[in-house]
Amino acid sequence: MPDPRQFAFLVHPLSPFQRRVMGVRRGHLGAAVGMKAPDLASGELCRFGVGEALEGRVIALPLLPGTLLEDQAGAVSAMRQVTESLEGVQAVGLGSLLAVVGGRGEELARRVDVPITTGAAATAWAAAGNALEVARAVGEERVAVLGFGGAVGEAVARLLVRNGLQVLAVGKGKAPTRRAEEVGVSLRSVEEALGATRVVVGAATSGGALAPEILQTETVLVDVALPSTLAPGPVPRGVQVLAGEAMELPPGWRRGFWGWLYHFISGYGPGQIYACLAEPLVMAAQGRTRPYAQGRAVVPEDLEAFCRDAEALGLKHRLATGWRRVATLGG
Amino acid sequence: MYATALSQSKPMTDPQDPEIFRGVRAAFAEALGLDDDEVEYDATIIEELGAESLDLLDIVFRLERTFDIRIPRGGVEEAVRAALEEGETLETHGILTEVGLRRLRLAMPEVPDEFFKEGLKTSEIPLLFRVSTFCRLVAELLEAKRAEEPEGGPHLV
Repeated sequence: MPDPRQFAFLVHPLSPFQRRVMGVRRGHLGAAVGMKAPDLASGELCRFGVGEALEGRVIALPLLPGTLLEDQAGAVSAMRQVTESLEGVQAVGLGSLLAVVGGRGEELARRVDVPITTGAAATAWAAAGNALEVARAVGEERVAVLGFGGAVGEAVARLLVRNGLQVLAVGKGKAPTRRAEEVGVSLRSVEEALGATRVVVGAATSGGALAPEILQTETVLVDVALPSTLAPGPVPRGVQVLAGEAMELPPGWRRGFWGWLYHFISGYGPGQIYACLAEPLVMAAQGRTRPYAQGRAVVPEDLEAFCRDAEALGLKHRLATGWRRVATLGG
Repeated sequence: MYATALSQSKPMTDPQDPEIFRGVRAAFAEALGLDDDEVEYDATIIEELGAESLDLLDIVFRLERTFDIRIPRGGVEEAVRAALEEGETLETHGILTEVGLRRLRLAMPEVPDEFFKEGLKTSEIPLLFRVSTFCRLVAELLEAKRAEEPEGGPHLV
């Protein structure tokens, strides 16, 4: 049997607690008990298998968000060092802020030979799939997409339009105005868009900006924003917020204890993963060397390629609130 | 040159340094998917150019790479805090005090006065940022770098 194709996914701790867990995993006592531990090295967190043909490694860099934001050049150097140490890997995906710093993967890609992909195409694929299913379930033909000016927002809108839905796009600035006609969406204000449909995709990168009370009763928000699209506060009765990026575990998925723990701590839950992890997986499976997403925009042809390749592998989006699968909609 | 510009109270409407503006404009255009000529010198970066929080991160990285500088996080707010005298407070419950507003206005001479309204929240400070704010910031950082490295001097990379 040939060696499995390999991919890697680079992550970083989102909180001091996650860094401590990383310390436990790396056998670093100081980091495990919460000390600063500047000598905590990057290293493998866990491995995943997909059937016998694919193997993925999750590599953690010990950089908290504050460090990443303060020193992007240093973050790129750390990613480069890790990437160059990975032997036999055919694609590298970037998680959380690693997908943003350094020009959204561009700077790292310039410095290494392995293809680098940021996860934006997979995120858009999952969010659009979830929004489409919601729209069909609740009988809506229109979907509001918040954050149309961003890469994911535009890609989601494009996929929804392709599937016959009318998209009410919300985005600030000059780019959305110019892009709306080409993508085939109607640009609206937030109020107009949310007043016209009960299916909303939250894809703006400045989370926490939408007051929950602005949503109509029975609205379903398919949210890919981190932090969440909604400002803190009680969610109005009848409104559901779905994990927009959720997808089913890929067929033939294997994970050991550390893989399970990584998923648990990262909020993936027992039956699902976040789609960004699937992007390097699909690249490796397809033997593709061109990234599905890198830099600011998701190229339409690459987006289509991801959708086609992911579906060929049997990957599916998943309607979920947090970890839980959604049994009913609108209630 | 920029020290003079900073001491003026009128908003700057023309690039003080066309070379810096060219680099800043290119960084904004790349990060936001705009054409260079869509990035105007006095455009607000959130409302008019549509930048979101992650875009700001991207913009900062591109500026750091272009000008070979390090842009500190929260630079404007930190500068305003540093300028406060003993007993003065920048904000109360997230809303800028009168003195905080005054200091902020001095720290951001490129922003027209009417934007410094009573009740402005610290979280709303980024809404004031303009392309010219970044031009000024880059100029200041290059100036500081020049002062530290008198022989080499800053350069575009």
